[in-house]
Amino acid sequence: MAAVRNGITLTGLCKEYRLGKTTVRALQNVDLEITSGSFTCVAGPSGSGKTTLLNLIGLIDTPTSGTVHVAGEDIQGLPEKLRTRYRSRTLGFIFQSFNLLPVLDVFENVHLPLILHRELTPLAKKQRVLEMVEAVGLGDHIRHKPFELSGGQRQRVAIARALVTHPLIVLADEPTANLDSETGAEVLALMEGINRDRGTTFIFSSHDPRVMEHAARVIRLHDGRIEAA
Amino acid sequence: MERLSLCLRNLGRHAWRTRIILLIALLGAFLTFLFENLVEDISRKQSDMFGRAFSGHFLVLEKDIETKNSFGFYFYKPEQMLSPGEVDAVRMFLASLPEVSGTQERIVFSGLYYGTKDAERGFRGVAMDMKEFNRNFTDIYYASGVPLQSGEQGTCAPSWYEYSREKNLEIGKSYVFLLPNREGEFVDRSILAKGGIDYRSMPKDAIGLSSIFFDLAGFRALVGYQEPLASEVVGFLSDARTSGRVLPRIQAWLDTREPRLKVVSWREYAPIFAEIVLGFDVAMKAVETILLAICVLLVVKLTTFSIIERYSEIGTLRAIGFSRSDVTLQFTLEGFLAIAAGAAVGFLMAAGAIAVLHATGVHNKAIFWSYMIGDGFRPSFHSGKILVVVGVFFAVAVLAPLFPAIQGGRLSILRTLEKR
Repeated sequence: MAAVRNGITLTGLCKEYRLGKTTVRALQNVDLEITSGSFTCVAGPSGSGKTTLLNLIGLIDTPTSGTVHVAGEDIQGLPEKLRTRYRSRTLGFIFQSFNLLPVLDVFENVHLPLILHRELTPLAKKQRVLEMVEAVGLGDHIRHKPFELSGGQRQRVAIARALVTHPLIVLADEPTANLDSETGAEVLALMEGINRDRGTTFIFSSHDPRVMEHAARVIRLHDGRIEAA
Repeated sequence: MERLSLCLRNLGRHAWRTRIILLIALLGAFLTFLFENLVEDISRKQSDMFGRAFSGHFLVLEKDIETKNSFGFYFYKPEQMLSPGEVDAVRMFLASLPEVSGTQERIVFSGLYYGTKDAERGFRGVAMDMKEFNRNFTDIYYASGVPLQSGEQGTCAPSWYEYSREKNLEIGKSYVFLLPNREGEFVDRSILAKGGIDYRSMPKDAIGLSSIFFDLAGFRALVGYQEPLASEVVGFLSDARTSGRVLPRIQAWLDTREPRLKVVSWREYAPIFAEIVLGFDVAMKAVETILLAICVLLVVKLTTFSIIERYSEIGTLRAIGFSRSDVTLQFTLEGFLAIAAGAAVGFLMAAGAIAVLHATGVHNKAIFWSYMIGDGFRPSFHSGKILVVVGVFFAVAVLAPLFPAIQGGRLSILRTLEKR
């Protein structure tokens, strides 16, 4: 499959795990194209390979075989230094359980990825953080620690942290799984708005049909294979 | 600054662990700095203590004199003694050496006296300038009676051993002494035991040096030396450990300029005290090494605990773009800050303790410590030791957290994220 310009192309992607003497095929020969600026949901039951797929695109895991091209470049073939740079500059991560640093307040958590962006001045970093915190509606909670926030607010902080570096792609692994349906809908609406306004590519996983309704495209996985895309 | 702020937050999060690291580093730096300075002081103290000098006390004298135990047999004829020209030349040369803290010219001789208990008793006579009597390097002072005046004839100051322990001489009374004259004959003279001299820091019960002191000018006049002759020039090293390089330099100069003379160290006690200092130094170093090893192991263990507790955080940091070296740097910096802060406090506390001990002096009567440091020992700061301790703890602060931090940086992102 030819690499899509400015998009993501997965070709013959396989991922196998060894569990004792058993080989688990988490992904089997996945071919997929995701266009730049899309709002895509990877859906499927638990164990279908959703998280593995996101981990391979996010360079958190390595495939057993196959390639992942982002904007025409084979990212899995990158050396460690460039893989780190790719995660820092191109990607944003949103985790199911938020993964905020408990000792840092909202401002500091959002600011965390910018520590690595030495090209930005402290003032520019501060402005970016404030802008993102306002964008996710937490301007009044800027000095709050994670334990002082609700689940929805924590996920908003995580979204702001993922977006503060202005990434091309945001990967969100079950971003609403730990939230009630109302808060989940708010978070999804926020992600949709950012996708629409900034053109950031969102790829998120879920097994909740209500979440899938928000996606412009739903990729269904079952036992590591694409059922429908 | 951003990293530093993150480190401080994390140190605050693991408050009890940070406190333990601080405490360990504090204790380690405190004891290390204290011990290092004490050992340095003791080594130097050895140099300026009379009788216990580890070569720190040396003699320049006539080559033919046997000095195996430093209580040499001396000639008393003018031509057999050091001439005024020789004495001046030697003292001038010694004064030019930075390692030499002072010099004295003396006449040392063997004599006899008829004391209170014994019919006849031999002694070691030392005639020296009494104006210098209380100089630090003489290490002796009057404990009883009246100080001898410069140029005073017919008076002596017996050592504590003679006037107190053996009770052969009573301060204030006159006794018959057989003293040499300029022809080398012994002549009866009536001598007043005017003042008793104590050895300031020596264990008097263990070492009974029975010397009897005379004023040099008074002694010369008494025995008929018209010229300012001396049997030896005594030199003192500010640090006994320099003797190995200083004594050959003196000897080389003597060979060229004063071939009749030689330099010898206080050989009798040198090996004993050298071994004591060495043993003490080794013991202190062993304690310091154990402390440092405990410090390093605990820091490694506590940093490892931190890493295990923060597995998920490491995964998050790596996912948002922190490299392996960024994670390593983060944990190393946290460990470094905790150790450096603790060590700085320990260092300052040790400095405070040394300052207090310097002001009050360490008073003790125990024989071992009396040997080692004397009574009223005043430790001081040594700039070289500041560098040593700061260097050692800087290395500990960097290296101790480094190994677990590297391990933390190498963790798989996937595994760490799964740990939540």
